[in-house]
Amino acid sequence: MNTSPADRYARQVLHWGEAMQHRIMQSTLLIAGVGGLGATVAQLMARGGVGKLYLVDDGELDWPDLNRQTLYGEQDIGRKKVQVAAERLAAINSTIQIIPLDSRINRQREWPSDLTAVADCLDNWPSRFALYNTTSAGCWFVHGGLQGDQGQILTLKTGTSQPLDEIFTGCTQPQGSIPVTPDAAAILAGMMAGELFQALGGTPRLLDRILVVGLEDFHCSILNV
Amino acid sequence: MIQVEFYSLLRLLLKQEKLTLPWKKEITVEQLLKQVQSAIPIPFLDKLIDADGRLHPGTIILVDRRNIHHLDLLQTKIRDGAVIALFPPGAGG
Repeated sequence: MNTSPADRYARQVLHWGEAMQHRIMQSTLLIAGVGGLGATVAQLMARGGVGKLYLVDDGELDWPDLNRQTLYGEQDIGRKKVQVAAERLAAINSTIQIIPLDSRINRQREWPSDLTAVADCLDNWPSRFALYNTTSAGCWFVHGGLQGDQGQILTLKTGTSQPLDEIFTGCTQPQGSIPVTPDAAAILAGMMAGELFQALGGTPRLLDRILVVGLEDFHCSILNV
Repeated sequence: MIQVEFYSLLRLLLKQEKLTLPWKKEITVEQLLKQVQSAIPIPFLDKLIDADGRLHPGTIILVDRRNIHHLDLLQTKIRDGAVIALFPPGAGG
């Protein structure tokens, strides 16, 4: 069973128009990490019709993941997340390309050359810095992070913006597991997806600006970098 | 004037988004933070600097958009009109 793009994307085209939809469908996005942020970001980008999605993660699904990682269920425990994510996304939208990469992220890694944007949905600073520094110049780089019910989103243009590892120099991982609620992960991921669609359309709203989100009192503020 | 901005958990802790201080003479980030602490009744300085005067890793300090790790750390000089941001980012994803 199939349908035309005009039918599938009718509701969003009413909002952002056909030109924007065309750009999204011509885009290639690498989603680094398909966990709390990345599973939902990947799902929304697939639903929105991004032409090609690379999914990068080397993790296997574990029970503490299920509270917020919206692509997975109990039957997936122990399976590679990128494989399950690729299956679920293909079931949501079979008209896009989905390429799972079961890979660690380090400074030796090389990425495909056709990327329009990178979504940093990772859960630790060393991997984020390695991801940024291995992304080629001229790419939109949308960073997301969260802890408890606080989070942030930032868009950079590689080669032009302040590098991610310069902005966040000195940040190290907290000891132990990081607290993350189901709602915070979904809300931040939804906002990240909104920014990614805008970046793919060529008009990011958070270029060199950190959106700081506090869900405790539904507060948002902007920090220029 | 010097503007100090508090983000995320620091904003919640201190119950304010910013503090404006008059600029009298050139001071360092460390001196500024002590001035801020004396102007705010809620203790927060120990969340930024340990007992030996070293920066804690959980909060970034930006002076006019630049992380003080790329300036002179706590000895970074503050000019009139500077904006100092204190932001403990979320590390998870």
